[in-house]
Amino acid sequence: MMSRKIILFSVLVLALLLVGTVGAQDKVKVTIFVGLGTGTDPDQITQQEALAARFNESHDSIEIEFLIVPHDEAATRLLAQLSGGNAPQLVGPNGISTIAQFFDAWADVTPFIEAESFDTSDYYAPSLELNKYPTKNTGLPLGLFPSFMIYNVDMFDAAGLDYPPTDYSDTTWTMDEVRNRALLMTLDSNGNDATSADFDPDDVVQWGFSDAWTDTRGLLTRWGAPGIGRPTSEDFVTATANSEEWVYGMQWYSDGMWVDRFIPNAEQVSSMETIGGSPLESGMLAMFYTHTWYLGEAILDLPFEVQVGAAPFNQKGERIARIHADNFTIPEAAEHKEEAWEVMKWLTAPEQIVDVCLIYGCVPARISVADAFGEAFAAKFPTLDLEVIYESINYLDAPNHESWVPEWGRVSDALNNAGSLVTSGTNTDAKAVLDAANAEVQAILDEYWASQGS
Amino acid sequence: MTSQTINRPIAETDTAYPSRGRLGLRGEALFSKALTTLILAAGSVLILIPLAYMISLSLRDKTQIRQGSLDIIPMMHVEVEVNGKDEPLYNVTVEGQAQQMALLKKAPGGKGIFVDPANPEQTVELILADQSPVQAVEIHPENYPEALTAVPFDRYFFNTITVTFVGMAGMLFSCSLVAYGFSRFRAPGMNILFLLLLSTIMLPRQVTLIPIYILFQNLGWVNTLLPLIVPQFFANAYDVFLLRQFFMTIPLELDDAAKLDGASPLQILWYIIIPMARPALVTVAIFHFLYAWNDFYEPLIFLHSRENWTMAVGLQTFNALYSVNTHLIMAASVVMIVPPIILFFLSQRIFMQGVVITRMAEK
Amino acid sequence: MLNIRDWSLAKREAAAGYFFILPWIIGFTLLTLGPMLASLYFSFTDYNIVEAPRWIGLNNYTRLFNDELFWQSLAVTLRFAVLALPSGLVLGFVLALLLNQDVPGVKIWRTIFFLPSVLSGVAVTLLWLMLFNPELGVVNKLLEQIGIKGPGWLQDPDWAVPSLAIMALWGVGQNMIVYLAGLQGVPADLYDAAKVDGANRTQQFRYVTIPMMTPVLFYNLVLGLIGTFSYFTQVYVATGGSGGPARSTLFYNLYLYQNAFRYNDMGYASAMAWVLFVIVLTLTLLVFRSSSLWVYYEGELRGRR
Repeated sequence: MMSRKIILFSVLVLALLLVGTVGAQDKVKVTIFVGLGTGTDPDQITQQEALAARFNESHDSIEIEFLIVPHDEAATRLLAQLSGGNAPQLVGPNGISTIAQFFDAWADVTPFIEAESFDTSDYYAPSLELNKYPTKNTGLPLGLFPSFMIYNVDMFDAAGLDYPPTDYSDTTWTMDEVRNRALLMTLDSNGNDATSADFDPDDVVQWGFSDAWTDTRGLLTRWGAPGIGRPTSEDFVTATANSEEWVYGMQWYSDGMWVDRFIPNAEQVSSMETIGGSPLESGMLAMFYTHTWYLGEAILDLPFEVQVGAAPFNQKGERIARIHADNFTIPEAAEHKEEAWEVMKWLTAPEQIVDVCLIYGCVPARISVADAFGEAFAAKFPTLDLEVIYESINYLDAPNHESWVPEWGRVSDALNNAGSLVTSGTNTDAKAVLDAANAEVQAILDEYWASQGS
Repeated sequence: MTSQTINRPIAETDTAYPSRGRLGLRGEALFSKALTTLILAAGSVLILIPLAYMISLSLRDKTQIRQGSLDIIPMMHVEVEVNGKDEPLYNVTVEGQAQQMALLKKAPGGKGIFVDPANPEQTVELILADQSPVQAVEIHPENYPEALTAVPFDRYFFNTITVTFVGMAGMLFSCSLVAYGFSRFRAPGMNILFLLLLSTIMLPRQVTLIPIYILFQNLGWVNTLLPLIVPQFFANAYDVFLLRQFFMTIPLELDDAAKLDGASPLQILWYIIIPMARPALVTVAIFHFLYAWNDFYEPLIFLHSRENWTMAVGLQTFNALYSVNTHLIMAASVVMIVPPIILFFLSQRIFMQGVVITRMAEK
Repeated sequence: MLNIRDWSLAKREAAAGYFFILPWIIGFTLLTLGPMLASLYFSFTDYNIVEAPRWIGLNNYTRLFNDELFWQSLAVTLRFAVLALPSGLVLGFVLALLLNQDVPGVKIWRTIFFLPSVLSGVAVTLLWLMLFNPELGVVNKLLEQIGIKGPGWLQDPDWAVPSLAIMALWGVGQNMIVYLAGLQGVPADLYDAAKVDGANRTQQFRYVTIPMMTPVLFYNLVLGLIGTFSYFTQVYVATGGSGGPARSTLFYNLYLYQNAFRYNDMGYASAMAWVLFVIVLTLTLLVFRSSSLWVYYEGELRGRR
C-alpha cells in the first residue's frame, strides 16, 4: 500500500514537473534589444521590467525580455548578434535615423499587416509614412517627438519682450523675429544687449537662441529647400546639399554665432552643457529649439520658469517643424518574427501605448489615446502647453531630416563635418562649406550607384 | 637537494645610487632627497587636481552641477521661502546698507526685484550684477548609496571578482610558461613565433570581434563569463612580452649552475626564474587586475543578461543617451578605484622587497 | 660542425621550448587564428555584416588609397603618436627614477602617480571634458591666473589632439610601473662593481642603469607603438564617436570603427585594419632589428653555444 502511494506520488510529481517544463518550453522568448536610442537610463530599465512583467503575466505562449545595452556599444553588439545567429526578435525604440543607419537589417512588416488586415486608421497619417520605404515598411509607429521652441520665461520678462506665440496662425513669428528678440536677450557681463553700441562680443554671458542639439540636416530642414530635410534629389542620384535655401539657413546660423553673437558657438555650447546638462538648463540661454524627448525630470526643478512656443516661419513664409519618431523593428535575422509582430502590436496597442510612451518620452502615435496621454502629460508637466506640442505635428518635415539616403552614415557625417566647420569657427562662409560638403556627398553617391551597377 | 637563499638587499634604503661611506656626501644626499621630494610634490598636484574634482563632483546633486560652479568645494545657492516658493538669497546693498534679500524675478535692464523674506510685501529693484548670491557648502554623500543601489552592484562585484582573479591565475600560469619558453630556449622558428604572438595585438579588435562572437556563440559561451576567463589560460602578448623582457635580464650562469645540479627546465623556472622576476610578475598581475577590473568593451559584447554584467559595464548605464548622470558616474568611479589602489599599495611590499634568488646548492 | 651529441641536446632544447609555449600555440590556433583569417577574408569582400560577404578582390584596398579621410585619419594618428609616445616614454622613465629614490613616503608617492592608470573608461573622459571646458574648466581658470588665455582645447580643431595627448600623459603611471619594476631588477652588485672601477654617479647611470633598463624601454616602446596606433576609447567617448570638431580627432581606429559599425562596411574596415597591421608590424620589425644595437640582455642566448 505504502509503496503504491509513493509510486503514485512520484508519478504525479514527475508529471507535474514535465508539464511545468513543457509549459515553459512552449513559451517563445521575444528579446527586445534596447540601447540604440533611449531606454537605458536606470529608471527606464526598471519601468521596462515592469512592462515585461505585465506582458508575461497576460500571455501564455510568448515571453518578453528587455535586453539593455549601454548606448555607446549598442551598434557593435547589435551587429554581433545579427551576424552571430543570435538576433534579438525586436529592436527599439529606434529613431528614423537608426532605422536608416541599419536599413538592410530590418524585416518588412507589410505581410503581417496585410495578412490580418491590421487596422492602421488610429495612427496619425504622417507617422505611418515615416516608416514606409519603397522596399519595406519597417514597423508600426510607436511615438512621435514633435519639435517646438522652449524658452526661459524669466529672460523674456527681464528683457520686457513678448513670449514666443502659441498661436500657429501668427505669421509675425519668423526666424527674423527670433533673431530680433534673441539679440535683445544676448547680454555681455555688463548687462549690455547685443544691439547696444557698448556690447562686448567677447564677453557674452547670456545668449538668445540655440538649436545645437541636432545634426546638420536637422538644422537646415526648416529653410524650405526642395528636398526639405533630404540632401539629395528624389532619386538619390544628385547631391543637393548646397541648395540656395540650405546655404541661406547655414549662413543665418553662422552670422548668428560669429557676427551677431546671439547663438552660442560649439565652444560655448560645451560650456553650457558642462554646467547645465543642456544649453537651456544652464540658465544662460533664452530660447532653445528642441523635441519632446528633451522633456525630462530635469525640466521640473529648474530655478527659472520655462514654457513652450510654436516653431517659427522661415524666410519663405513656410513653417517646417522637424519631427522625430520612434518604433520597434523586427530584424530580418530574427527567428520568431510572428511572435515579434504580436509583441510589437501589444506595445503599440491603445492599452499600452501611453505607458510605453511615458517611459520613452514620446507622444503616442495613436489618435484615440490623445486625451489619456494629455492627462498623464499634464500630471507630469502641469505648466507646459501640450496643445502647442501636438499642433507641431501638422508641420512636420517631409522628407524627414533623418530619412534614409544611400550610405546614410557617410552622407550624414560629411554634412556634420560642414556643420562643425561653422560652429567651431574654422570656416564661417556657408556657401564654401556647403559646396565642399556637397561635392563630398556627390562622390559618396556616385560610388554607391557605381557599386550597385556592378 | 637543499636550497640556499641569498638575499640581495635592493630594498628602499638601498637606492640606485648608493653613496655611503664618502665624506660630505651626506649633505649632498640630503639635498637630492629634498629636491626629489619637491619635484614629486609638484607633480602630485597635477595628478591630484583632476581626482579632487572627481570627488567633488561625486558629492553634488544635479542642481549643484547645473549651477555651474566648478569650485572644488561643492557650493549651493541658499534659498529662502517667500510666499510659499523657494527663492535665491542674495547679499545686497540697499541705500548703502548691506543686508540679505531674496531675488523674486529678473527685470529689464539687468535689474532684479528683491524682497526682504521677513517682510514679503515690500520689493526693491536693484542692479543684479552688483549683488552676490549667498552660497553655502552642501555635500551629497547619499550619491554613493544611490549609485551603488541603482544597479545590482553586489552581483556585479561578484562577477568582476570571479573574472578578475580566475583570469589572473590563468594568465600568470600560462604567461610564465610561454615567456620562459620564448626567453630561454633556442628552437627553429622561435623568433617568427614570437613576432606572430606580438602581431595578435596589432590587428584592431573591431574587425575580429564579429568572428570571435560567432565562435563563442557556437561554443555556447555567449552570455556566460567564459569568454572573459578561458582565453586567459592561453597566454597573451602583453604579459608574455613583459615577462620575457625580464626573464632575459636574468644571467644565464644561474641556469647553467642549476643544470649542472641536474635541475630540470621546470625546476629552473620555479626555483630561479620566477623568484628573480618577482617584480615583473607583480607588475603583470597588477596590469591584469586593472584590465579585467575596468574592461567594459568585451563584457558588453558577450554578456547579454544584466545579471551577468561586471561593475565596469554596470557603470556604463549611467551614461545614457539623453541623461548623463555625472554625479552618479563619478561616485561609482570613486568606489571603483578603491580596491585597485589598496591592492597596489599593498603589492609594493612584494614589489619593492628586493629580488630573492633561490639557488640550488651542491648536494 | 655539430656532432650527434650536440644535435640531441639542441633537439631537446627545442622540444622543451615548444613545450613551454604550447599554451599559447593552442590558444592561438583555436581562438585567435580563425577570427584573424576571417577578417583578412572580409577585407576582400563587400560585407555589411547583415548579409553574406561578396568577393570583390582588391577593391577595398584600392579605394583606401583614394580616400581622403583614410589619409586624414592616418595623419591625425601620427600627430598624436609624435606628441604622446616619446613624451610618455621619457616622462615615465624620469618618474620611475625619482620614485626609486629613498625619499620619505615613497610608497605614497608611487601610489599617487599610479592613480590615474587605475581610472579608465567613461569617468576619466567626462572628467577631462570638464577640466578642459573652454570657459569654465579648471585648466583655463588656472592659466588665467598666470595671465594666459587658454585655447578651446577639445573644442578647438587645432588643440583637440594635443588635449588628448595631455590626457594620455596624465596616465603615464602605467609606463612608470614597468620602469620601476625594471629598476628593481638591476642587481646591486653591478653598481658595487662599477664603484670598485671608480665610476662616479653619472657614469654608473650611463653604464649600468641605462643598459640594464633597455629591455624595459624596448618593451614600453613596442607596446607604446601598438597602443598609439590602436588609440580609440577615449576619443570615442570624448567626441561621441564623431572625431570632431571638424574631423580634427578622426583617429585611424575611429574611422575604422565608423566604417565597421556606422557605415555598415565591414569589408572596408577590415582592409583598413590589415593596412594598419602591416604598418605597425613594419615599425615593430624595425624596432626589433635595431634592438641588437641598443638593447642589452644579461641573459641573452644569442652567440651562446
